[in-house]
Amino acid sequence: MVETSVEAMSNATLDGKSISSEDAYEQAAKILQAANFPLVAGLGADVAGAQAAILLAERLRGAFDHLASRDSLTDLEVVRSAGIFVTTPNEARVRADLALLVGSGLTGYWPAIFERLALDKETVHGGKTKRRVIWVGPKRGEAKIEGVEVETIPATEAELPGVLAALRARVGGRPTALSAAATKKLDAAAEALKSARFGVAVWAAAGLDSLMVEMLQGMITELNGTTRFTGVPIGGRSGATGVLQTSAWMTGFPPRTGFGRGYPEHDAWRFEARRLVESGEADAALWISAYDGEPPPWEDADIPVVTLGPPGAATKRGLFIAVGKPGENYDAVEFAQETSSMVLRRAKAPAELPTVAEAIAAISARFSEDLPC
Amino acid sequence: MLTRLYGGHIVDPVNGVDGVGDLYFEDGRIIAPPVGRTPDVEHDVFGHVVMAGAIDIHSHIAGGGVNTARLLLPEAHRAHRPRPANTPLSTAGWSTFETGRLYAQMGYTTVIEPAVSPHHALHAHLELADIPIIDKGLLTVLGNEDFLLSAFRDGESQDSVVDYIGATLEATRAIGVKCVNAGGVDAFKQNIRHFSLDDEAPGYGLTSRQIFQKLQQAVVATKIRHPLHLHMNNLGLPGNVETALATIDASQGLPLHLAHVQFYAYGTEGKNGFSSAAAQFAEKINANKNVTVDVGQVMFADIVTISSDVMKQFNSLPGGRPKKGVIFDGDSNGLGVVPYSYRVSDFFNAVQWAAGLELFLLVDDPMQVFFTTDHPNGAPFTTYPEVLALLMSADKRAQYCARLPDDVLELTNLPALKREYSFYEIATMTRAAPRKLYGFEDRGQLGAGAVADIAVYELQTDKAAMFRNAAYVFKDGNLVVRDGKVTHYTKGRTLRVRPEYDRAIDDRLDKYYDELYGLPRALFEVQDAALPATAVFAEVPCHS
Ligand SMILES: [Zn+2]
Repeated sequence: MVETSVEAMSNATLDGKSISSEDAYEQAAKILQAANFPLVAGLGADVAGAQAAILLAERLRGAFDHLASRDSLTDLEVVRSAGIFVTTPNEARVRADLALLVGSGLTGYWPAIFERLALDKETVHGGKTKRRVIWVGPKRGEAKIEGVEVETIPATEAELPGVLAALRARVGGRPTALSAAATKKLDAAAEALKSARFGVAVWAAAGLDSLMVEMLQGMITELNGTTRFTGVPIGGRSGATGVLQTSAWMTGFPPRTGFGRGYPEHDAWRFEARRLVESGEADAALWISAYDGEPPPWEDADIPVVTLGPPGAATKRGLFIAVGKPGENYDAVEFAQETSSMVLRRAKAPAELPTVAEAIAAISARFSEDLPC
Repeated sequence: MLTRLYGGHIVDPVNGVDGVGDLYFEDGRIIAPPVGRTPDVEHDVFGHVVMAGAIDIHSHIAGGGVNTARLLLPEAHRAHRPRPANTPLSTAGWSTFETGRLYAQMGYTTVIEPAVSPHHALHAHLELADIPIIDKGLLTVLGNEDFLLSAFRDGESQDSVVDYIGATLEATRAIGVKCVNAGGVDAFKQNIRHFSLDDEAPGYGLTSRQIFQKLQQAVVATKIRHPLHLHMNNLGLPGNVETALATIDASQGLPLHLAHVQFYAYGTEGKNGFSSAAAQFAEKINANKNVTVDVGQVMFADIVTISSDVMKQFNSLPGGRPKKGVIFDGDSNGLGVVPYSYRVSDFFNAVQWAAGLELFLLVDDPMQVFFTTDHPNGAPFTTYPEVLALLMSADKRAQYCARLPDDVLELTNLPALKREYSFYEIATMTRAAPRKLYGFEDRGQLGAGAVADIAVYELQTDKAAMFRNAAYVFKDGNLVVRDGKVTHYTKGRTLRVRPEYDRAIDDRLDKYYDELYGLPRALFEVQDAALPATAVFAEVPCHS
């Protein structure tokens, strides 16, 4: 494939017009350094990119947030208030004799989910058995898994919290407000959960809220009174879990953390990217979305924005610098959903594009001397 | 650059030195006093004690466990202090950065993270690479995974187990092998809630005793220098000293390290059915020189327990302070994170505190008992200076004892123990003994050729103050701490072992991963490309 347009060749644009990388980095450094309270957001990056971004936010005494923080924090809120039972998809694959799938759209959040959980195959550890699969609240026609007989508990999105609450109640032998017929169906499911050897509930925080996750985990806690039951969370998009872990070891806190007072402070409301921009508290932003060029969530920012994204994602307004896609165009460490651990992704299509960390280093190298390093 | 420290009291048990003298180092190494050369830099350390950099053999400082604890307890590590120096993230509360800074200020220069699940080794190494100044290493956790248990069950040769251990140490870049509640973590997945030395792991027909013994033998056969690092069954339970004694009896005369033994020093006397059995335990340790122990001292503080003994952690959930926790059933492994608070007014906590000190004072040989709080399980590592002061002063212990519930004092021997540790014994326990336990040749002593990791403390009557703020710390010959403050940030190395093994095991393991997980085993390996360029490894030699 031969690219002919200069536009397409360029790694950087300003208001849609191609500029040299050198000018772009220079410009980006000026914008960020001039700001009183710059925001480093998006953070759709690998671990090295996240490390560079968080150090940059600290150096500039700004704040940082991840584009899928809402989803990470949904689970984290439950962890902080009540605690959580979790396992890895691979432990579920080899051991789980029952899978409780919760909510719709799971394959959207994790396309390889059913291949990884191997629900159509027998368990390997703790005894060889067929698996039982119960899906609460799938969309119409969604509850189809090849080679698996899926039992469903219907619930619309609006009904899901009530159905989960009722299921939890029945597991604990408590009454529900549902009809006798609906309760009977839940009782059968509750019995199945209680008789599982090693059951797992699978959910994506992106599709639920904290109350639902808390209900689910409350039920899991009760189930562990007599059997083993745990959870498989599906993490947020654009490297959310890896960035969360990196943020935790670097600052002690998850994203939505600010350094305005010279030390890290975490506040899920105060340091939310969209609010910071729309309220005018942040006066410049670095938006990083290296995986897929997802645009920022804010409406009409009238602050200068520097965007790091894949070549196709050039913005019409503001400064854009193309970076490689982590694990695709360059070797990158990220949190892998399939192993629930940090892994190295080797570049499948190496490209002459900077990594997120390199782009940030190039910007930082152009700050004037008076900024502490 | 030639540096001389002069006039200090050098305490270097490995070389039998305990007196005033000069110490020379150059290019990161300690050298013999040079003849006819003038030092480039000299430090007058008159009135100071000079020791090798301290080595912490067991402290949970990196990886999924401690990171989960950070996320579980945002309230536990409120950040503090506006930036004092122009150093990135020097103000974060409980970060990798703080870990290096705080250890260095106490004169620690090497710290071992003791519990990393093989599949999460990369995460642990990423954190270790982020910790400044100190050298570090990690233990890889084996003894509950199907591959090994099946090999034991099926009577495979010890050679193949040795190869498996070699391959796992290589893939995880570890310095040794830890085993946690052998077989019990797997049993917990099969809904077993209590698992003792002679209980059988379901599906494998092996008792915990058999699993740890076979693993212990295999670790010896790998020729790595660190013996099996064992977290025994029944941690924390009344009467569990019986388990500890039986484990020592089962140790086959082979080297074995028992982790945080304070948590196993409990009898069943008194009206609460909970008492210190430290005296009985210490006697056993004294009589079995093949066994080493670290204490896991409890101090009265808010802490968080981080343990791969997920069964124990699950059972601890109802008593959590505050009541919450993370229970993780990992790949062939486990992890539980449960917050707790040790209170001086709590009978059980006070017995735990006393039992730990009894062990320190009743084990005769400081080469056999190691200084730990099992950070953060017994206490944060920042309490070390206070613990050292307790070991060095019977009066200080008496002051603490005066605050304990009366019924506690009847169930411990602590008030009767007047032993006070000398500097020489402290240096033995925190420098010479760790050197031997991990087989370090280049540290834990101040002889010529050793790395110039040096801690200098100003002599004070307040021993806690003395050890809290080292007057000088040199790391590889660089001055990194002055008067208790880090003055210069360096990057340390990660220490690992690389025993020889038959690479044929790699094919078998590849096949095993492919069949079980449908994933390449390489996905779980720690590779250079995954780590920052600043991550530097150094090899600890094996027995020849
Ligand atoms: Zn430990």
